[in-house]
Amino acid sequence: MTLIGPLVLASFLFCVGLYGVIARRNSVLVLMSVELMLNAVNINLVAFQSLLHGDDAAVTGQIFALFVIVVAAAEVGIGLAIVFNMFRNRASIDIDDADLMRW
Amino acid sequence: MEALNYAWIVVALPLLAAAVIAVFGKLMPLKGSEVGIAAITGAWVLSLVIGWQTFVNGPVDALEQVFWSSPMGGAFTIEFGQYVDGLTAMMLVLVTTVSMLVQLYSREYMHGEDRFTYFFSMLALFTFSMLVLVIAPNTLQAVVGWELVGLCSYLLIGYYWQDKPNADAANKAFLTTKFADIGLIVGVVVLSAGVAQHSNNVFSIPETIDLAMGGQLSELTVVLGTLMIFLGAMGKSGQMPLHVWLPDAMAGPTPVSALIHAATMVTAGVFFVARLYPVFIQYATVMNVIAVVGVITLFFAGFLALVQDDVKKVLAYSTVSQLGYMMAALGVGGYTAGIFHLFTHGFFKALLFLGSGSLIHAVHSNNMSDMGGMRKYMPVTFVTFVIGSLALAGFPLTAGFFSKDEILVSAQLWGDAGMATGPLVYWLGLAGAMVTTFYMGRTVFLIFFGEHRGAHGAAHDVETVEDVHAEAEAGVLDAEAEAEDAAQAAHDVQGGHHDPHESGWQILTALVALAVFSFPVGMAGGFLWDEVGGSTEQNFETWTATHAIEEAQYPFLPGYHAPGGEEHGEEGASEGEGGEAEDPEAAGSGSIVLASGEDLSGPLAAESGDEEGFSNHVLHGAPEFHLDVFLLALAGFLIAVGGAWAIYGRGRPERDPTLHMGGFTTALVNKYWLDDLGYRFVVVPIRDRLAPAVSWSSNVLIDGVVKSIGGGVKRLANVTYFTVDQKIIDGGVNGAALSAAWWSSKLKRLQSGDVQRYAGAMMAGVIVLVIAFAAAR
Repeated sequence: MTLIGPLVLASFLFCVGLYGVIARRNSVLVLMSVELMLNAVNINLVAFQSLLHGDDAAVTGQIFALFVIVVAAAEVGIGLAIVFNMFRNRASIDIDDADLMRW
Repeated sequence: MEALNYAWIVVALPLLAAAVIAVFGKLMPLKGSEVGIAAITGAWVLSLVIGWQTFVNGPVDALEQVFWSSPMGGAFTIEFGQYVDGLTAMMLVLVTTVSMLVQLYSREYMHGEDRFTYFFSMLALFTFSMLVLVIAPNTLQAVVGWELVGLCSYLLIGYYWQDKPNADAANKAFLTTKFADIGLIVGVVVLSAGVAQHSNNVFSIPETIDLAMGGQLSELTVVLGTLMIFLGAMGKSGQMPLHVWLPDAMAGPTPVSALIHAATMVTAGVFFVARLYPVFIQYATVMNVIAVVGVITLFFAGFLALVQDDVKKVLAYSTVSQLGYMMAALGVGGYTAGIFHLFTHGFFKALLFLGSGSLIHAVHSNNMSDMGGMRKYMPVTFVTFVIGSLALAGFPLTAGFFSKDEILVSAQLWGDAGMATGPLVYWLGLAGAMVTTFYMGRTVFLIFFGEHRGAHGAAHDVETVEDVHAEAEAGVLDAEAEAEDAAQAAHDVQGGHHDPHESGWQILTALVALAVFSFPVGMAGGFLWDEVGGSTEQNFETWTATHAIEEAQYPFLPGYHAPGGEEHGEEGASEGEGGEAEDPEAAGSGSIVLASGEDLSGPLAAESGDEEGFSNHVLHGAPEFHLDVFLLALAGFLIAVGGAWAIYGRGRPERDPTLHMGGFTTALVNKYWLDDLGYRFVVVPIRDRLAPAVSWSSNVLIDGVVKSIGGGVKRLANVTYFTVDQKIIDGGVNGAALSAAWWSSKLKRLQSGDVQRYAGAMMAGVIVLVIAFAAAR
């Protein structure tokens, strides 16, 4: 099996995620797009570990991916809390409305 | 010699008096005159003590003390102090004596005048100024005194400034002497520049003398310096042609004239030349100039007195003439003779002026044509005036006789030494003495003999009455005389005549004192001094001789020995003629000239006058009786006085011969046209050309430059303010601020708060970086 399949998949996922982060208005969808990008990275990590260093007992890539999943879960928790609070304050989760940090 | 240490008190007292009178004078019972007289009397007593101490001790070492000095830059200093030797002491005695008597006299003469107090203050200041000059240890202090003297004379000559001619006379005196003072200043500076190469005390008189005698000053320095100083002395001492101010100075009150002519002003020039005498004698040129100027003055000024009607002008021209004698004496090596004449002349000329003042006081006119027969009315004035006239004319045994003889003897010795100016001074001096005798005879006869010619016109009488009333209002001291005056005034009103009367005791005291002084002051320097109890160790010569004078020799005359003992090159061949006629030791002078001709006394001796044995010394030793001089002088006196008696003895002739000498009288009446020449070639060009030119250069040129500089600066300042400051600097600052604001208003849009846009920008940046790195590989 070659690396090309997983890498294409990961690139696709990353681009979709990037597009979602830049283009979507809905905060929740932006968060989800971030998750997509993280998962694209995870795919890369696992793919490189198993395909290039398959006989390595330490399985560093997989373990690293696990860490990323944990951190992503925590991040989603915080992100949703922010979205939740934003909705409570503004009755909207449109990310274009969250522009207080401007000139 | 302890009294010499206090010579400065003599100077300080008149200054103190002047200040006290000026401030408190009007509050005092005698209007300040008592302060002046007390101060000058104190100064006089101290002067006499100093004079006595220097006299009995023979030639004394000069006492030099510096009281105040100020650094002048570099190592040079300006010093003020005192320099007391016999010459100084002699001048102190002369100045204080005359000043004291003049002040006493002025108490009566100036009585009731406006500004009486001011007058006394000025008299004291005048005396002080002269004393500052007399006591000066350096030329700078001398110049200070000199200029103060000029200032005081200006103020006092112009005392009656209400009348324009008097103010003009004061201006004339001031400007004429000031012109000469330019010479003085230049001379002092030249000499000090020469001294500066050897000493730091550049103005010091003793240093200057030492260097000049040692031959360490260059010829140019000495000749130029002394001639320039002599120019100053010419102005101050009324030498022709700068004498023109002196007769006009008669516009001042008579006591002032006496002071100016006897003690405090015209003697300054002669004194200063005498003070620097060892410098003046270094070059024959300088001596000849002095002698010629002196002889011209003595000869021609005497004639001017012949045609004057104003008694004070007669005396003024006689002063000019006598000053000529002094200068001529100095010019022919007669140091002692010159200052001796200065000394004696001071007394009898003061006497004559005060006597004429007494007359003027009595007849209210300066003119001899208004006098006549005065000996009946004013016997004391008559006797004293005659004594003064005899002294001036050189009648035997009077002061003027001895001093004038000394001058003629000096001229003779000078001629024997081969100097052409000697005979010139000798013969013209004799002729001048005759002229002097004649005009003094004319004056005395016109004033005191014949009938009183007081004006009888009604206008004059009215004036006289007014005068008397004015005196009465002012409260004349002498009550009896006042009553007499009033009676006469009443008499005058009825058409009677106002007879003159003798002056009061203050005037007479001054007159008698000066008349008495006119004899002994001449004795001390005359050849009879031995006979009347004096000694050759202590006479006028040893009194006024300083050690510098004793050692001074004429480098241009035979017999000169350079100070180092070497013979002077140019004259060395004929050295060794010194000291035969008179023994220098007997004269109390430590001679360094060898006593006899050593080896070259043969043919060369003749040209240096071996018979008389000319001493190459400034001092001639004790005066001796010279029969030829005596007889010639006496014959001249008798002829002149006989001539005067023949013409004027019986009163004023209808046809005064002095006024009918054709062109000569015209020349005299017009004062040799010197005043006209001065007016035309000095005053007019200065007034019409130089003054406007200077004024133009000041008002137009200099002011224009200043103004344009000012305008330029102002314009520059405007440009700086409006362009540089307002536009460039402020514009820069404001522009920086504005551009920052403008840019910030544009750039702040970047911070939109839109996170997605940030993310997009970041993405774009990453893409750019990736492409850049990829391209760089």
